[in-house]
Amino acid sequence: MAELQSGAPAVAEIESAQGFADGERAALRDLILVLADSKRLLGMRYADWTLGAPELEAGIACASMAQDEWGHARQLYALLRDFGDDTEQLEHGREADAYRSLSLLDEAPASWPEVVVLNALADTALTVQFEALTSSSYLPLRQRCEKLLDEERFHLAHGAAWFRRLAGANARAREAARDATDRALPAILQWFGPEGARARIMTDAGIVDETPGEMRCRYVGRVGPLLELVGVSVPADAPDFADFREEFRRAGVATPDPAVIARLRGDRNRVFLMD
Amino acid sequence: MTVYEVFARKTRGEALRHIGSVNAPDAALARVYAFSTYDEERWFDMWVTPRDALTEVFNVDRPVQESL
Repeated sequence: MAELQSGAPAVAEIESAQGFADGERAALRDLILVLADSKRLLGMRYADWTLGAPELEAGIACASMAQDEWGHARQLYALLRDFGDDTEQLEHGREADAYRSLSLLDEAPASWPEVVVLNALADTALTVQFEALTSSSYLPLRQRCEKLLDEERFHLAHGAAWFRRLAGANARAREAARDATDRALPAILQWFGPEGARARIMTDAGIVDETPGEMRCRYVGRVGPLLELVGVSVPADAPDFADFREEFRRAGVATPDPAVIARLRGDRNRVFLMD
Repeated sequence: MTVYEVFARKTRGEALRHIGSVNAPDAALARVYAFSTYDEERWFDMWVTPRDALTEVFNVDRPVQESL
């Protein structure tokens, strides 16, 4: 028998979703879909600012980030084949109420400071979740983390540089950044989810190596310096999970706008798929 | 706003070459803009410098005495 190194716990390596117990597999599928849908919506939000960003270079950066996010979403949807899902149905056959994207992405950002907040704060929350998957027992997911996180370094660099720029500019820019941050932060902190049975299933199966609370804490550590710049403090109370649906990582019954989802799916021009 | 010149090379040891420029208010954004604008190719490394930091040594369009 191979001798285990003392200290680090042995991480199981599971190559197929079938290698998990039913409850574990369901929770893992939920998580992958949450991440895929969030990246797909985020990619669309970035893409919409390829035109209209304050300077040409920022528009190019948005185009580049959109491309990354859609690439990540594509890969994540493809992973779900291993769970018996039909990728075509996931990408083109679901209504808005089936989407599990981060609730903050439901509304189109109305101004550049809101885009910067999505970039610096929301994208970073997804990154923190992926960092908790870099030693995941589910090998196919773990193997995609490194390249994805490598691309995300540039997203955070762009978001943070712009956030600092807004915070250090005139009062109007700083206030816009502060207001957008104020609105975004509660939804993001809630997104990591509650402690509880589901979180325990995920950590016990080695799918993630941090609890929701640990991820939230690490997230706050990372974005804390930015929050300070605009004078926003992290709420002392834990997020409210009263009507939180853990499998969707969303609260309540709100959904993304169906018109937005129709655009995302490319409905209007699907008819030209002639093969 | 500052113009930053962008330099890169394909392989280790190769000479840096000028590949373009970006407009940015500071070095932090100049880095991300250079990356997102010029990352289509596989580079070994990439650098930015404010155009103002470059000093002309000489220029063939002018007499040497004036240039140096």
